[in-house]
Amino acid sequence: MTREKFRVVVNDDKCYLCGGCAGVCPTLAIEVGASKWRFIQEKCIFCNICVTACPVGALTTVPLEGEE
Amino acid sequence: MSELKYDVVIVGAGIAGPMMARDVAKAGFSVLLVDKKAAIGSPKQCAEGININVFEKYGIPYDKRFVNREIYGARIYSPSGYTAELRYKNVSGVILERKVFDKMLAFYAAREGADVWPRAEAVDVIRENGRVEGLKIKREGELLDVRAKVVVAADGVESTIARKAGINTYAPPHEFDSGYEYEMLIEGFDPDIIHLWFGNEVAPRGYVWVFPKDEDRANVGIGINSDNPKTAKYYLDKWLREHGISTNKILEVNVGLVPVGGFVKELVKDNLMVIGDAARQVNPMHGGGMAEAMKAAAIASKWTVKALEEDNLKLLQNYTEEWWREEGPKMEKLLKLRRVTEKLTDEDLDVFVQILGGTDLEKLAGGKYTEIIKALLKNPKVMFNRRRLSLLKELL
Repeated sequence: MTREKFRVVVNDDKCYLCGGCAGVCPTLAIEVGASKWRFIQEKCIFCNICVTACPVGALTTVPLEGEE
Repeated sequence: MSELKYDVVIVGAGIAGPMMARDVAKAGFSVLLVDKKAAIGSPKQCAEGININVFEKYGIPYDKRFVNREIYGARIYSPSGYTAELRYKNVSGVILERKVFDKMLAFYAAREGADVWPRAEAVDVIRENGRVEGLKIKREGELLDVRAKVVVAADGVESTIARKAGINTYAPPHEFDSGYEYEMLIEGFDPDIIHLWFGNEVAPRGYVWVFPKDEDRANVGIGINSDNPKTAKYYLDKWLREHGISTNKILEVNVGLVPVGGFVKELVKDNLMVIGDAARQVNPMHGGGMAEAMKAAAIASKWTVKALEEDNLKLLQNYTEEWWREEGPKMEKLLKLRRVTEKLTDEDLDVFVQILGGTDLEKLAGGKYTEIIKALLKNPKVMFNRRRLSLLKELL
């Protein structure tokens, strides 16, 4: 089974910029600055770990199919 | 572009970073401490409880400006409401105010001669000739090259600097807890002790805590396994609802992940060191990282100073060796204890807490728990239950 490819998106209103998602990401595909959350698509391996780990459910995924 | 040179550059002004900056600067070496936050200490990812002995042990002034409340013990609650309590005559711990505490730690470092830059973000390492020569730091829109003989990653749970420098600090998701906490008005809990609730429905793999900061104000939080399909917020809000506690008197919300499943093996690579949460140096039983960060900072500082004095960076490796010799065995033992507690059912928790009500709980948190295990093993509810028996025997 191939993994569904997606983009990880943040809900700014829910996110506290705690950096936990960056900590659990195996490939450093998320960077969390003091005032900015950044996703690096090329590094993402679609493991979904960040989405599950977020303590407040601020992350979701959007399928890449049809976007490009 | 100006080029800056220091003996030591440290990323992260939480606990480990400023402690190390203070000790290395005090020995006469040039230190730069940077943190991406605009205000050191805020936002925090912490329940703010710490053992009273750290002040003397690590030379930290006992300053009332960052001590919210003195604590005399702890009470644990099982899923069905059995309790076990540990209460001392003397103060055993305090609930800090991290936004003041961290700032003061950075102030002590500055007073010893360290440069301290908030709102300065280490974006990458400078790598030349196969080694890390410093850090690229973004400060007020300017990208600066900061060169240093020693680079220290104290960047917390994200631990990105060490990973960018080639130290493997990665841990799988089940080795983290997701934490969520309110500082809030709360009444009806003895404000002289901390309160901990256990249960697979209450806080899967973790616990709910009430850490009093005042008679009627406390940090009320939760830690659960980070690979849980539900969020930490979901479980904390559920617990508050079930206890009839209003969520309309909240003073602060804190969020974060806690590395609780093991420790970074390689703490030094050439001239790069990793300390504190970034090295996963957290007590795996209670998820507290401040005391461990202080310990790691003290060891790392000692060897950094020696290495700089003798102009021999190979000495930095002694930090890895000493940490694993001094802290490793205790931490591995606590990790083993944690892995056993993860397997407990609600009924087990009820039975154990009921029995623990009559034993010396102090040994449990400190890692010297064999006597408690022996006491549990003698109880009929354990003795005649093969599963409980085998779980506990794993710990002896």
